Amino acid sequence: MNPLSIQTLFEQISLSIRFLGPELTLVGSACVLFFLAAFRSNRLLSGFLALAAIGAATTVNFLVPEPVFVTSDRYIAAIDPTGVAMFIRWLTLAAGAVYVLLGLSDSSRETAPEYFGCLLVVLGGLSLVARANDLLSLFLSLEMISIPTYVLLYLPTKSKAGQEAALKYFLLSLFSSAVLLFGFSYLYGITGTINLPLMTETLSNASLSGSLSPLALVGIVMVVAGLGFRLAAVPFHFYAPDVYEGASNGVVAQLAFIPKVAGLVALARIFGLLTPDAPFDSTRTLLPFTLWFIAAITMTFGNLLALIQDNLKRLFAYSGIAHAGYMLIGFLVAMAAPDAVGTSTQSGFDSVLVYLVAYGLMTVGVFAVLGYLTHSGRAIETVDDLAGLGRTNPVAAVLMSVFLLSLIGMPLTAGFNGKLLLFFGAFETPTTTPMKDFYRILTLIAAVNSAIAAVYYLKMLGVMFLRTPLQPAAPAKGYAALLAAVLCAVGTVGFGVYPKPLVDAARKAAPMPTVPAKVFVFVP
Amino acid sequence: MFNIETIRLLVLAVLFAPVAFAALVAIAGLSGYRVARRVASLGALLHLGMTVALAVPSVFVLMDRVGLETKAIKAPREFQPIFVPGDPSLDSGSYETTWNLFTVANGPSELPPSAIQFFVGIDGLNIWLVVLASVMTYIAVLVSHGSIRERAGGYYAWLFLLQSAIIGAFLSFDIVLFYIFFELTLIPAFFLIGCWGTGGGRRDAARKFFLYTLLGSLFTLVGIFGIVLTNPTPVSPNSPSKHQYMILANSKGQILFPKAGPVTFSISKLMQNVSTWNRTHAEKLNRATLLRIEATTAFEKANGKDPKIVQQAEAELKRADVEFQTVKTDRDDYKSLQYWLFFALIAGFVVKVPLVPFHTWLPATYSEAPVAVTLLFTGILAKLGTLGLIRIVIPLCPDMAVQQGLPVFGFLGALGIVYAAFCAYAQRDLKMLAAYSSVSHLGLLVLGTFTLTAEGLTGAALHMVNHGLTAGAMFALIGFLAERYRTTDMNQYSGLIGRFPKYAFWMFVICLASVGLPGLNNFISEMLLISALFTPETTQAVGYGFGVAAASGIFLSAWYTMTMLRKVFFGPLLLPPQPTAVPPRDMQPHEWVAFGLPAILCLILGVFPQPVIQSMRSDVNIIVRQTDEARARLETEKSLSR
Repeated sequence: MNPLSIQTLFEQISLSIRFLGPELTLVGSACVLFFLAAFRSNRLLSGFLALAAIGAATTVNFLVPEPVFVTSDRYIAAIDPTGVAMFIRWLTLAAGAVYVLLGLSDSSRETAPEYFGCLLVVLGGLSLVARANDLLSLFLSLEMISIPTYVLLYLPTKSKAGQEAALKYFLLSLFSSAVLLFGFSYLYGITGTINLPLMTETLSNASLSGSLSPLALVGIVMVVAGLGFRLAAVPFHFYAPDVYEGASNGVVAQLAFIPKVAGLVALARIFGLLTPDAPFDSTRTLLPFTLWFIAAITMTFGNLLALIQDNLKRLFAYSGIAHAGYMLIGFLVAMAAPDAVGTSTQSGFDSVLVYLVAYGLMTVGVFAVLGYLTHSGRAIETVDDLAGLGRTNPVAAVLMSVFLLSLIGMPLTAGFNGKLLLFFGAFETPTTTPMKDFYRILTLIAAVNSAIAAVYYLKMLGVMFLRTPLQPAAPAKGYAALLAAVLCAVGTVGFGVYPKPLVDAARKAAPMPTVPAKVFVFVP
Repeated sequence: MFNIETIRLLVLAVLFAPVAFAALVAIAGLSGYRVARRVASLGALLHLGMTVALAVPSVFVLMDRVGLETKAIKAPREFQPIFVPGDPSLDSGSYETTWNLFTVANGPSELPPSAIQFFVGIDGLNIWLVVLASVMTYIAVLVSHGSIRERAGGYYAWLFLLQSAIIGAFLSFDIVLFYIFFELTLIPAFFLIGCWGTGGGRRDAARKFFLYTLLGSLFTLVGIFGIVLTNPTPVSPNSPSKHQYMILANSKGQILFPKAGPVTFSISKLMQNVSTWNRTHAEKLNRATLLRIEATTAFEKANGKDPKIVQQAEAELKRADVEFQTVKTDRDDYKSLQYWLFFALIAGFVVKVPLVPFHTWLPATYSEAPVAVTLLFTGILAKLGTLGLIRIVIPLCPDMAVQQGLPVFGFLGALGIVYAAFCAYAQRDLKMLAAYSSVSHLGLLVLGTFTLTAEGLTGAALHMVNHGLTAGAMFALIGFLAERYRTTDMNQYSGLIGRFPKYAFWMFVICLASVGLPGLNNFISEMLLISALFTPETTQAVGYGFGVAAASGIFLSAWYTMTMLRKVFFGPLLLPPQPTAVPPRDMQPHEWVAFGLPAILCLILGVFPQPVIQSMRSDVNIIVRQTDEARARLETEKSLSR
């Protein structure tokens, strides 16, 4: 089928638009909010409208039936609503509600409509990433996340650090988008298509017959670099600590989670991990080793640098970097999944999804608690500011300790189950590929890293409960942020005690590949 | 008298009742420490009652099992827990549960999914430990009576949560569930040391304890994954049906080897799988070796005959050689992986025990923690480590336990016995003396365990209970002084027998039990452990050195304990400045219970150990069978490779 014919174009558009009801609702509501900003600026009203928009998107999701999408549509449509798309949509809507609550204590009165409007666009973009089926829609959805984030960072530009953070993020993010686009252009040039499944298939076939252009590697490395920035994976992590430090808690909570989800899902889309009937055979290329190396460096580097941080936001920035490393383990395992077809045990991208949810719950929860405490009039900047929180504000301290224990990976928290699945997956990855025992070694590195990470999380736990308070108790006010933290804590413990629904949903969203890996034929 | 369903519920009650008590006592704590401690001691007493109600029928069933076994000649290859909640069969039980927590991997759809299960049950190894945990928690609550006044509700709540986590680990028969409970003990322990510790360094001590143990147990987690994944359920090579006991002959009389099925997390099933895969590998190797020998002789015979026959024989030899090499590589790969997994698996447990040189968290923790907490640490928490060795490491890595156990960990145990005994002698603090004495005795336990003989394992299983009683009671007795004078420095006490004669009596009883006086409990188990070191199997493997070290440990233990008694209880009266206006009184009513109960149990276990030994015997036989098979396997392999 000629991808450039007019009929195909219309077909594409009509196919695509009907799958985007909730996303369009979110973006449309954002426009209403931006419009409102011209007349009235009210925090509660804007927050309420944003919540209503999320509610409306949920309703649309329920009420508007999606048209049938057959597998062959995958090779024309710009939007693919199967697989992971619905999982990420639900995740987006749930996370959105928490972010709005957090935003109620975080935004200032003057800029509230813009704040919530940008948030809604970001959410629309996140949900769209999981549906994007060609390079264009993928890039578009990724920019839908980045551009509002610049605005969000600029909105409260009262402090110098805030300005610096905004500028730094703006420049580096633009740079990374350019790198990504550059990589996309190579991939398009080599394969002659922007459709992702077609592209992976072409690349896969070329690599199997040995006729793959070496430029493909350049393209893929550029893509990994561009998306690595969003994951905050080493060596693309430099912005994270500074930007986190300068931004407000609500925005950091978004920065710590949304780009990571978007980056991982986009990478998975490009690598064909989400199409079970047409997986990309990459285990016999250099890619797994490259990512192995990035994963190992990312978690070790993140954890070691987090050890020496005093500033809480910087600490969590490095902790987020380390967690990106853990997520990459799951990504590597998913890449090797075609080799495991037919063996008795296998796991794939589902463990990454579970870990993403767990990570989101605990990290957003941490920033919600910090947002609550900051709103209460206490300046919480360094670890020492948490001293004696167990006495002065037991509710916040207990919530925080739930998140910290989950970040350590203690049992009965979502973090434990996430790590369990990741480590287990890495250990069971077949050793018949050229990677041999490297996956198992990575499990060991991750285990040691978990112990290192426990040092700084436990330090905070100790500071909160075992030290006497340095500041008198401040009256607590940010109830919306507190509610957000409570929701996250309920999720953390709930999925910790009974992870089955989450695990099942993730498995449904990212099924195992059905086609086994093809044996590489070397053609000289 | 007892309905099976009721007993299964009782198992759950024993496991989760402490959580309910914790909630209750936390609420009760709001109205002052007096209410909290009353609720706590009532709860602990109630729990003790429930445990006894559970123990009585369990012990009867377990003792019956030994009788059945002698008729059936051989012990089974896997642990067979009784009273498993969620067991599909109603009467005696199928030794498995249907309560899945979640599945970890999508296996092929025709096979059952690999699920982590809520699999708890009773067997000879854990029932006495559960009773011990209940007794020691009751004593810990009693000992805390006077010393804990600040935030007492929280303190008792954490104490109960710790008890629940420990009992959960004792009862688990699912390897991940065991790990979950094992890890969960860290949280209560962290807060108990950090918030209610007595010294200035309690925060660091709490963190050190947590991190050190966590690091060890993360290695154990990796080891667990390795064991689970390298020992999947064997299924028939032709159909996805399970066949547990490999080597099925088909209609033509050919032997079929199993192929890998879904993975399992049940410790019992893993034991079967480990044994099946080891036997499969060994059998394959033996057959390949024999085939090669046959082919070689055929080739030699054919030499000089018809070139066609020579060619045929040569081809046959080549084929046998290739076959042998592949089988050998398989076996070697499996073994080298098991080698690393054995060390990974054992890491968490040797830290928890603790085995010298992994004991460096211990001095800080024991000197900072409140006395009741050290009592629980040494009395029952340390038993998680030793139970882990017996329940997980040895049955799931039998070959490596035979090969590496005694030379590496037996050696560390022997080293620990002597080193910790000298450390104990050098201490000036009663708590530290008791702590090092405990390390020394646990070294003996580990050393005896790794002899992997019936005597050694029985002794180890029994010593876990005995050591828990005496070492725990020792800390309870030290708590008496700590509560009255706020110090446990030995230099500040002398001639206590005149001032506190009743207290001195109980101290003597427990010290004598700890030293191993005949008629008291430790004598029995330590004699079993030491005799295991002088059995021919052990002496052939490692000589008499370990036996001598162990025997000297008993002597050294008498030496430092008696020195302590002489210094503290005899001589002129010397007391530290008393912190309260009223002079401290001798034994209070609750202390009579706290010291008398373990002392009486020590006496009972010293005089009538037979019921305990008898109820443990079938489970010890199961482990011994695994290790005996491993030993035989290794020897055959060695002789064949020559």
